[in-house]
Amino acid sequence: MASLTLPNHSLPSLLPSQKPTYPLSHNVPIFSKSSQSQFYGLQVSYSSSLSIPSLSSVKGSIFAKVNKGTAPPPFALKDQDGRNVNLSKFKGKPVVVYFYPADETPGCTKQACAFRDSYEKFKKAGAEVVGISGDDPSSHKAFAKKYKLPFTLLSDEGNKVRKEWGVPADLFGTLPGRQTYVLDKNGVVQLVYNNQFQPEKHIDETLKLLQSI
Amino acid sequence: MKPLLSRPSPTVVTAPDRPTLDDPSLRSTWSHRAWIASGCTTVLISLAKAITGAGESHRWLEPALAGLVGYILADLGSGVYHWGIDNYGSASTPIFGTQIEAFQGHHKWPWTITRRQFANNLHALARAVTFTVLPIDLACNDPVFHGFVCVCSGCIMFSQQFHSWAHTTKSRLPPLVVALQDMGLLVSRSQHAAHHHQPYNNNYCIVSGIWNEFLDQLMVFEALEMILFFKLGVRPRSWSEPNSDWTEETKSIPSQIAAN
Repeated sequence: MASLTLPNHSLPSLLPSQKPTYPLSHNVPIFSKSSQSQFYGLQVSYSSSLSIPSLSSVKGSIFAKVNKGTAPPPFALKDQDGRNVNLSKFKGKPVVVYFYPADETPGCTKQACAFRDSYEKFKKAGAEVVGISGDDPSSHKAFAKKYKLPFTLLSDEGNKVRKEWGVPADLFGTLPGRQTYVLDKNGVVQLVYNNQFQPEKHIDETLKLLQSI
Repeated sequence: MKPLLSRPSPTVVTAPDRPTLDDPSLRSTWSHRAWIASGCTTVLISLAKAITGAGESHRWLEPALAGLVGYILADLGSGVYHWGIDNYGSASTPIFGTQIEAFQGHHKWPWTITRRQFANNLHALARAVTFTVLPIDLACNDPVFHGFVCVCSGCIMFSQQFHSWAHTTKSRLPPLVVALQDMGLLVSRSQHAAHHHQPYNNNYCIVSGIWNEFLDQLMVFEALEMILFFKLGVRPRSWSEPNSDWTEETKSIPSQIAAN
């Protein structure tokens, strides 16, 4: 059966071209706090002599990207009730962070409902589920209410966190990507799964991983 | 005492805007027939140019293959157009408004298409074909191109007839049509029936239907809908619960239709 499924493996970006999906700004997120951070394809040491202009010519290789084995950058985003939620809140237990295009679209609804329907299994594995999209808290609130979603939805307005984590866009950059990360209880990424058009598979893959860690 | 009606009236309960079996809106007018004539003329001219050009050059294979490509792409085109009309715009949209309203009515009362007279059913497509193919007939003589054009435009023009046949019960269809449907050369009744289920978001192609499985499995239309949503902010109708204007009216089906 032909499909647009991206192959299931843990590399974050499976698009044929590694062109940057977001423009390079001079506020390159250099995470000087953690020596584990790495730019895509490059291990960079943090020093004041880091030369941005010379690196900017290397397309797609300068953006901080969250890969398997790395700890993602911290974030603080508003949830559907307008409360600030930090990623650090989930330390000590596994967390499934799933980035999705938008509330009230068919794929995202299927995905959210699939997470809802399997939520007990995630709880049994001791994990928390967090959905992130660019919609505002009121959109998340309506979406969560309509489909009785028991988990947190965060508003990444401006798609800042999506860019920081390096979630690749689909269809030549026209569509925000659908990518899920599973963080272990230490906050380290153990799985990165990307599949735009088969959203229910995100639940199967993340549960499979959670049951093995 | 007034005489009784000499003609029995259909035993239907009519709701507002609901067409009756002998509704004038289902009948062909001379304007409809004129568009059919012009559309067919332009297609036949293209066919004639394809044949004479192939005859003169003694190259028949290329125009024939071009015709096959035209048949295949006509199905794809029918699907894309159908998807667009079903999901976007309204009765007040310029140019397409009447078509959108007609498709809306078709979803609500699918059976009416089988009661439309031939020219009434096809005239809008015949008009579009006239405007598209006439300039090609005047400007071009290449038999391969005309091989493609005559088959593609002919299939598009007659797609409404194929569509009507896909709504007609087997017993009322000519055996040849049934055979073509069973062979997959014309869109089948069962395949098209799959489109007439909420949320009306699949099986859009109505010439042969050969593209339907591919387009639906690859979720091509969903991808296009997502792109349009993110780029233009427009939501397709199929994303929302269909409202009563678009859902099929299953109550009080005319007894004559039900009996057939």
